[in-house]
Order: sequence, then C-alpha cells, then structure tokens
Amino acid sequence: MTPGNRTRDWKFLARVLLGAAMLLPAQGAWCAEPGTSTDKVTYNRDIAPIVFHYCASCHRPGEAGPFPLLSYQDVKKHGHQIVAVTQSRYMPPWLPERGDVKIADERRLSGEQIATVRRWVDQGMLQGKAGDLPATPKFVEGWQLGQPDLIVKAENPYTLAASGRDQYWNFILPVPITGTRWVRAVEIHPGDKRLVHHANVLVDRYGTARRMEKEKGAGFGGMEIRIDSEAFDPDSHFLFWKPGTVASFEPDGMALRLDKGTDLILNAHLQPSGKPEPIQPTIGLYFTDKPATIHPMLLQLQSDAALDIPAGEANFVVTDEFKLPLDVELLGVYPHAHYLGKDLLATAVLPDGTTRTLIHIKHWDVNWQGVYRYEEPVLLPRNTVVKMRYVYDNSEDNTANPNHPPARVQGGNLSTDEMAHLWLQVVPKQEPGVPGDPRMALQEAWARHEVEKAPGNFESRYNLGQMLQARQASDEAVEQFEAAVLIRPQDAVANNALGGALLAKGDVDGAVKYLSVALASQPDYFDAHYNLANAYAAQGNFGGAADQFGEAAKLNPNDAMAEANLGTALVQLGRLQEARSHYEAALRIDSSNQLARENLQQLEQLIKESQR
Amino acid sequence: MFSGDVTVLSRMLGLAAGALTAGIFCATAGGQAQSGSHAVVNQPASVAQGLSLSGARADPLGKGGTVILIFVRTDCPVSNRYAPTLKAMSQEYAGKVQFVLVYPDRDETSATIEKHLQEYGYHFTALRDPQHELVNESKVQITPEVAVFNGKRELIYHGRIDNWYEAFGRARSQPTTHELDEAIRAALNGTTAPASVSGVGCYISDLQ
Repeated sequence: MTPGNRTRDWKFLARVLLGAAMLLPAQGAWCAEPGTSTDKVTYNRDIAPIVFHYCASCHRPGEAGPFPLLSYQDVKKHGHQIVAVTQSRYMPPWLPERGDVKIADERRLSGEQIATVRRWVDQGMLQGKAGDLPATPKFVEGWQLGQPDLIVKAENPYTLAASGRDQYWNFILPVPITGTRWVRAVEIHPGDKRLVHHANVLVDRYGTARRMEKEKGAGFGGMEIRIDSEAFDPDSHFLFWKPGTVASFEPDGMALRLDKGTDLILNAHLQPSGKPEPIQPTIGLYFTDKPATIHPMLLQLQSDAALDIPAGEANFVVTDEFKLPLDVELLGVYPHAHYLGKDLLATAVLPDGTTRTLIHIKHWDVNWQGVYRYEEPVLLPRNTVVKMRYVYDNSEDNTANPNHPPARVQGGNLSTDEMAHLWLQVVPKQEPGVPGDPRMALQEAWARHEVEKAPGNFESRYNLGQMLQARQASDEAVEQFEAAVLIRPQDAVANNALGGALLAKGDVDGAVKYLSVALASQPDYFDAHYNLANAYAAQGNFGGAADQFGEAAKLNPNDAMAEANLGTALVQLGRLQEARSHYEAALRIDSSNQLARENLQQLEQLIKESQR
Repeated sequence: MFSGDVTVLSRMLGLAAGALTAGIFCATAGGQAQSGSHAVVNQPASVAQGLSLSGARADPLGKGGTVILIFVRTDCPVSNRYAPTLKAMSQEYAGKVQFVLVYPDRDETSATIEKHLQEYGYHFTALRDPQHELVNESKVQITPEVAVFNGKRELIYHGRIDNWYEAFGRARSQPTTHELDEAIRAALNGTTAPASVSGVGCYISDLQ
C-alpha cells in the first residue's frame, strides 16, 4: 500500500472512533485515544490559524511564496518542510530579535507555535474536526489600498537571466503630473513577486537616475545608487517593499511631495529562478489635498569608511554614534549591510543613562532586509546618543560570502563590497522658542558629525557647507566648500557652491574664479551660469552678465528669474527693446513675477521718455 | 523528514494492534489501519518503473548505460533554480549519459509537467513517479536530489547535485563541491563515486 492510502486510513479511523466515543462513552479510553484525544494537534484547530496568520499572505497565487498554503492539502504536502524551515526560523522571514520597543506587523512565531507545528507533523498531520477550521483569510486582489489615483510604470521590462548571481536593477518610473501633488500612500507592485527579494523606491527630483541610463528607458544595474536630494526638504519616507509588506496610508499630515518632472526610481533585488523572466514594476499613487504638516526626515548613521575587512576575519566590528541636538520621534529603522553582515545592533542611550535596543538582528540575511516600523513612535529626547554596532563575517563559514576563498572586502557600492548603514525615520520636534525648521538643526548637527568622522570626505564637507549656507553662515560655509574643492578641485557642484557662498559674503572676485571652474567642468550647468551672471553684474560687467543670464535662460527656458535678470542686464547695456522682450518672456513663464512686472513698467516709462 | 515518516508508521502499527483488541466497534477502523501497516513491508518490485507522460509504465534504466535520475517538483524553487546547471551538464555529457527528470508528486499531471519542461527549456525525458518506485530505488528524499546508475543498474551515487545550498535560503554565490559531476565521471571511468550527501530542498516524504 502506498503512503497516500495510509493517510486516508488514518482520517477514516479518526472519524469512526469519534462517532464511537460519542455514542458509547463506556467503550473506554483506549478506543477513543488514537484519534479523538484533545491533546492531538489538528490542522483545523491548531495549525490553520498559524498558517493563515503567518504564511498565507505570501503563500497564495500571485504572491512571493513558491506554493500556496491555504488548505489542509496544501500544508500537508509541505509538512516536513514546514517543520524544518520554522525550526530554523528561515520561515516566516523575520530577522529582528524581540526587544524593548515593539515593531509593527511582527511576523515571528513563538517557540510554542513552532513546537505545535512539529507535533502536528510527528503525529501524522491530522486534519481534525471540520467545525474547528477558521475561515480562510480573504485577500484583496490587485491594489491593496483600492484603485490608485495614478499608476506609474517602468518604461520597459527588464529580463532577468535564468541563472547567475542575484541582480540589482534600477527601474525609472516617470510621474506624469503637471504640478505639485501630495501623496498619502505609495503601493509598490515590484513585478513577479517570486523573483523580487526586495525593492526600494527613491524619489528623484533632479533627473539623477536618467543620467545613469545607457539607453533611454532601459533602467540600469547597481545595488546602491546615489540620488541628489534637496537640502531643505530631504528624503523623508521609507518607500520599501519586501514579501509580505502591508501597504498602508501615511499618518495624517505626513504626505510625500511630488513635483512635475519627478521620477520614482525602483531599486530591485532580483533572484534568478531557473528560467528567463521579464520584470516590469508598477507603482500606485494615492493623492491627498492636504499638504504635509509633519516633516519627518531620514537620518543616517554609517561607518562605511571603517569597512576594510581582512580575508578570513569572522568578527569585524564597526560602530557609529550620534548625539541628537533636539527631541525626535523615531518612527522606523532600516538597517543595511551586504553579504558579510552578521550581527546588526542599534541602541539609544537616553539622557538618563538607560539604554533601549532599537533593533537587534543576530543573524543578518541580506535577502530578507527590510524597513521596520515601530508600533508607536519612540520618543528620543535631546542628547540621546543613537548607536550602531555591526559585526561582519568574512570567513569561509559565512555561506553568503561572495568570495571563495574569502578576499579582503572594503566599503563600497557594489554588492560584493560592504556597507554599514542605519537609516532612522525621525520627526524632529520644534524646540519652544527656537524659530525655523527643526530639520535644519538636525541636518546641520548630522553633517557636522559626518565631517568629524571623515574630514577628508567630499560629500561630508559639501553637505555641511550647504546647511551652513542655508542659515546664511557664509564664512563657515566657505570654509567647508573650500575643503570640498581641495578634495575634488574640478567638481562643478562644489565649485559652484563655493562661488555662490563667496558671492553671498561679498567676495565677488573669488566668486568669479570658482564659478568659472564650475563652468569649465560642466558647461551646461544652469546654476553656475546664473551665479556667474550675478557676480559679473556685481562687478559692473553687464555684458558678461547678459551673456551668462542668456546661457542660463537657454538651458532652462522655464526659469522666469533668468529672463527677468537678463532683461535688467540689457537695460544696463542700453538695449531697451531687447530688454522688454525678455521681461515679457519672464511674465509669460510666471505672470506673478514681481521683478519682471515692476521693471517692465519702469522700462516702458523709460522708453516713452527717451522717445519724447 | 524521513525519520519523521518512520515515526508515523511505527505509531500506526501500535494503533492498529490496539484497535484490533478493541472489539466489535473498532474492528473496521483497526482493520483499515492494519492494512495500512502492509506498506511497511516493502515488497520489492522486480524492476522499479515510472510512468511516461502518456501514462505507460517506463523503465528509465532499460536502455542501459549511465543514467541520471533527477527528482524535481514543479513548485520547488530550489529544484527549479538548478535547471540551467542541469541543462549545461547534459550538454557536456551528451551521448554518454542519459538525464531523466522524475516527478514524484502524484498531483502533478502530465500537462503540468509538459508546461514545466517548456518553461524551463528542458529537453530531457520526464517520468512521473506517483508510487515512488523510483524514489525508493534511488534512495532519494529531497527535490532536487539525483541518483546515478551505472550500466549495470547499480546505484553508485544518490544525493545532492552540489553544495550550492547549505540550508533553506542559504545559497552560496556558487557551489564549491560538485558531487553529481564527480559521480558521472566515476560512472564513466569505473572509479569510486563520492559519498552520498543529502540535498537541500523540498521533502519527498511530504508527497503522500
């Protein structure tokens, strides 16, 4: 007889005996014992609730799980496998230890649940009484948050090869909006969920990613990408998908701003399946009329520069710590390392000396990385020290080690390089009596910390300079930009920033020098043309100013200020008719442009007078 | 895994004995359970066979020569990820070795299997093994595991293909041992095959 028949007998036995026990309790315990004893684990009563809650959301058609787990037959067909993967805690995938702070949507089985599953399989996978079976969970098909207001799609599919290493692919999803919109939810559909291990969506306000495409619309490879971010409205939201992610609306007032021309970049980790697979992600956007009133920001602790891990080293430790200059509410964290990461810990030492574990992953697995949100915001008062301590294993014992035999690994952007990042989503609190956007104070403190950690790092110097310039601390800003230019003498962005800061503090000659370097490096740099035009104007060189404003206006025909200023430079040169046409152009672009309007009136007056 | 299976069987035997002494009310049930116990007494079939996709009994070793039986399931992600490796090996040993895919899941129909072969670009003979005759003959427990038979129908290796997977979800960037390849060379050269090592993947014992 085959194993299948055995199982059928088993069920039959249970049912008959059950009837017997009910009709004739006097028959004795020995007869009822095999199937009816209440301490036997059954699918319907004991296993289905676990499977429905922890497994079914991914293990159903169309989702990430490779097979469904929705019925007794489904689960029984994988019974021994389920015992193995729950015992090893490979499934359900949940990396963090249970700690001081409660993480939302925790998908972690208790030791008791794991033991129950094992007992069920050991006892022969009984189905149990039909009446014990809870209702099969109802899942919403398609968009989990309802029909989106706008669906954006990668311009072209990417075909994942049948075999080879994991791939990291960046898809560009243009957002066809004509003005600023506020987004209260982003639902990510990364493509075939069996292939996508995780996906991160980045907001690209400056077309940074498009410049990385070799072929327009094709996307591009790479695990880590750098997207230029606004200093005054920095990245603020975790837009992350991993299997089992529950799409949700942002809290009231925490909408994400999207402008005309903004792209969404979906950075996907893809795992070959054995056959070629085309992947084309879509994203659903849900708009709101309410602009953001709460402004979170993403704060990063990192220790990449310290990553230089000798081959064979099994316990390489890096740390970083940052003292908060003001109160913040911590909403979530995203710990990030690559294949050598082993033990990732983040803690907060509060001003009263107590330590809270924010997240602890004892067995890091890059394949299951994720964003973790807290059930309640975690208040971290001013002077709290946030710490990260990451341990790396570059020995042969680390199965995930990309090098065989192990090789020296340093910090870097390739998946075979390493990283030590801890992102924190925080809402900085307004200090009583302190004016201004509290994000600026936090950003400046963070930028200063980065400079202290790595004085020779270009980005650190540049970022701190930006924050100082933002609050008109031009002397200090110039110091930081000078340091940045020393590190990268030809860098267009740094030279432009230095030129701009010098101009702001009245060093016009210095400004012209660095702005000219910026333009030599990048002739189509709008900001540098605009700044250089201003510098020339300050020197009284209106011919030079008109040329530069003209270049700027050509590069960005939608910039009303470039047109208006060009008009003024031309007035200074006595080219009044030309000046008028540029003021008019400025007003066509932006009818509310005050400068153009007032100057045009004056100019009309002047022309009239000159004609008299 | 397999040990779990044995535990289940032995308890059923005990049950059956208990039920038999139970008297009239439990007799039917006891009888059923006892008939189940016959499964433990493994009646060796004369020649283990599978079913071709047209449903005919087929002996994959019938033609002689070196034969590799590869045990897979259409829904096992680990066995699926091995498709490119297996196809490359079959090309390397074309004309010398026969590669046969064996599907031990009784619920997988010929149509499902045809579709699977097409999707993964397999040009191998495929057999169903609903009664697990080939599974037992090959002593395999996991998909994907392989069995290598030499020309004398002797099982010279059974177990994993290589060490790509160390555990569920723990794959190396590339394997560092190659048991199947070594076993094929052993079969062709008459040398000693590697020792059996269990694979990582889906449990055949679940397919009852």
